[in-house]
Amino acid sequence: MVTIFVVITFNFFLFRVLPGDPAKAGVHDPRMSPETEAALRERFGLDKPVFLNFEEGESLFDSQYFIYLGQLAQGDLGVSYQYRSTPVSELLTVALGNTLWLVLPAQVIGVMMGVGLGLAAAWRRKSAIDYGAVAVALLLWSLPTFFLGLILLLFGAGALGLPTGGRATVGAEFDSAWEAFADLVAHLILPTLTLALVIFGEYVVIMRSSVLDVFSEDYILTAKAKGLTTWRIIREHALRNAMLPLVTLIALDFGFVVAGAIQTEVVFSWPGLGLLTVTAVGQKDYPVLQGTFLLIAVVVVAANLLADLAYGFLDPRVSEAQHA
Amino acid sequence: MSRRHARTAALLGATILVLAACQPTASESPDDGSAPPSGSGATGGTVRLGIGGAATALNPGNGELAEDYVLYELIYDTPIEVAPTGEFVPELATDWVVSDDGLTWTLTLVEGATFHDGTPLTSEDVKFSLELYRDTPDYIYLPSYPDVFVDIQAPDPTTIVITTSDPVGNFESRMVFMYILPKHIWEAVEDPVAFENEEMIGSGAFKLAEFSQGEFVRLEANDDYWDTPPLVDEVVIQTFTNADARIAALTNGDVDAITEFPATAISTLQNTENIEVQISDVAAGGSIRDVFFNVIDPADCPADGICSGHEALRDVTVRQALATATDKQQIIDVATLGTASPGLGLVPVGLGDFFLGLDADYPYDVDAANQMLDDAGYEDTDGDGVRECLGSQDCDDLTFRFNYPNDIDTGAREAELLDAMWGEIGVNLDIIALEPDALTAVCCPAFDYDVILWGWGSDPDPQFLMSVTTCAEVETGTSETGYCNPEYDEIYNASSIETDSEARIQMIHELQQIVLDEMLYLIPYYAQNTEAFRTDTFTGWYQGSATFGLDSAISLVSVHPVE
Repeated sequence: MVTIFVVITFNFFLFRVLPGDPAKAGVHDPRMSPETEAALRERFGLDKPVFLNFEEGESLFDSQYFIYLGQLAQGDLGVSYQYRSTPVSELLTVALGNTLWLVLPAQVIGVMMGVGLGLAAAWRRKSAIDYGAVAVALLLWSLPTFFLGLILLLFGAGALGLPTGGRATVGAEFDSAWEAFADLVAHLILPTLTLALVIFGEYVVIMRSSVLDVFSEDYILTAKAKGLTTWRIIREHALRNAMLPLVTLIALDFGFVVAGAIQTEVVFSWPGLGLLTVTAVGQKDYPVLQGTFLLIAVVVVAANLLADLAYGFLDPRVSEAQHA
Repeated sequence: MSRRHARTAALLGATILVLAACQPTASESPDDGSAPPSGSGATGGTVRLGIGGAATALNPGNGELAEDYVLYELIYDTPIEVAPTGEFVPELATDWVVSDDGLTWTLTLVEGATFHDGTPLTSEDVKFSLELYRDTPDYIYLPSYPDVFVDIQAPDPTTIVITTSDPVGNFESRMVFMYILPKHIWEAVEDPVAFENEEMIGSGAFKLAEFSQGEFVRLEANDDYWDTPPLVDEVVIQTFTNADARIAALTNGDVDAITEFPATAISTLQNTENIEVQISDVAAGGSIRDVFFNVIDPADCPADGICSGHEALRDVTVRQALATATDKQQIIDVATLGTASPGLGLVPVGLGDFFLGLDADYPYDVDAANQMLDDAGYEDTDGDGVRECLGSQDCDDLTFRFNYPNDIDTGAREAELLDAMWGEIGVNLDIIALEPDALTAVCCPAFDYDVILWGWGSDPDPQFLMSVTTCAEVETGTSETGYCNPEYDEIYNASSIETDSEARIQMIHELQQIVLDEMLYLIPYYAQNTEAFRTDTFTGWYQGSATFGLDSAISLVSVHPVE
């Protein structure tokens, strides 16, 4: 809770330190009359002081910050400046839904492929698989997401004829639910693949080193000495221990992936949280920015909490330590 | 809409031309340009457009972006509109006459116009809409057009009588953004700014079918349109935030046309089968690239000003020498890859008779420019390649701060070109790109800069762009240069109330000549629009004028499937 409160406060002031004026942002037009500017300021509460109100006869707390806190306490995230009349919560709900559509499959695919290949690379250490996996993983991990996205876009659109933007064919009439689903999948392939490949690279490298650590432990040697099959050693002894750092990573990543799909969303015009954030930055849309950052903070904190709980489940020592 | 060419979309990697949002509707579509072949029976279908931005406001009062106005032009009608030739032509108003004293305008409305919900459109709706725009200061742009209408009357269903406080020289241009709203819906609205207008009931050629914020707009043809209805069934305008994705969508057939793409893609697209690239021959209402100079004397600094301008730039000879040393054609060829036409002043060539004519410009001549500075006494005494200031001036040498907004794609290239060109005459530049808001902060009314490269979009009427060099605007921040000349103001004020169009054009020419002689604005070019469309899906796109893009109503009403 403390973390989130700090985030709320930090975000509030962070955006207000930026140069520029939200009443004018996006409207770099001196034609906007002083009356219009004043009216917009009043509408958005920008006529009030930012932190404390020292105006005579006014309450000290009649300021932008305390009004924001008050609204937030009631679950009200405010109204978007750029869309004038749309509540931020509505924008966030829609965008988060779209982002999850993209991020969840990408995360699942990326993690499963990454863990699998990382394990194989560790098991066949110093083999062609190992070198190949590490090389590919490092390449994908270090490629800027937008660049990878563009390469896939040019290839996917040119050679495979896949759609390059949006979530579905707008206004299309489908004969069956199956066709509608196929259309959706076609739109998902390129952005999901982009995001999955970036995640994949990271997991290969980390899974590999994590498994290698475990393999050097005495109990693995013992297991080998007992004559267990390779698969049993991996499954019963190595994997569970090697998973510990990965669980932390998956949880942490999930929070960041929600935010970090920004580049993918921009390349593929995917109307999720990332695209919303980018647009809001340009328009100095403080309420939307505060909303997206708060949401991201909450997701990261919640994901960490889940990771801690999962730790207890995976590693009995942790839960025992908590009970002790 | 006139506004500096600085946009959110640029953050997303796409620079969107701020088109003067003055596309006409159907009334003259079959006559001008590429009319659909008569006798061709192909109609129906869904035509798809890929654009870089997205409309944000369905409520016309809240419209800020060019994308918003594209939508309004398709869904609403206005009393008067602009034709591709630049003339004002009837839309909802069949004719308009002014009284002898120039104060009362009487408009006659077309009969039989109805809103999308079937309700007839009458003069009451026109009166309501004009009053709503005039009396809602929270609306961004629209209040500035009817602000001089002191009285609006609707004596009968097809007549509107408007009384103005003073005679207005640009009455017609004040009508082209007056989207007529249905009174029976809007009068029940409590807060006309918070009203989202999700139904978007208008009287235009297209009806709103579906809107997904930031994603797409789907429009249906209004088959009962009082004027010529569209030939297609539906129009989808879809956002592709990335330019490469937009181009790929065109080449693989996901969309039928795209309205903006970088000049670097032109040759690739031209060599692609079934795709035609359209570069408007003359840059009309589009964007104006400008370079302006801080000329304000610190003694006249406005209250909030800093006025740190370089003293040598207050010498008109220096500014004229810079203009003479500027090779505009090179900037056009290198920075825009030839997709622009040479500039002169803030009134672009597309404004027809208002345009002063390129003959008035300073001819490019480096030797002459050097001579001008030599004669004025600016000499490079220390041999570092940069001329020194005059002894009477409070500066060392002709090193100027040069700022440009970081959301102009070609800004860096243009700055480098100018640095090289001006280096030929012993002028040095410190080039710094700024975020648009930060640029506004140093620009005006702070006047904390030397030279700025920026841009403007143009209205169909030049009055506003002429106001940016008046004394009154120095304090408001509308004046970018800090220039103040009572003689200029006198002509400007006279032009704003001159109702004789010939006389007014003459005055506008005089104003442009003064700005040119004083060299307040150096205009490298007027950008041309680049658009592309598929030739194997739809035909009948409107071509031939930069003001009217593929997404204009005139185009979308005449486009129809290839047989």
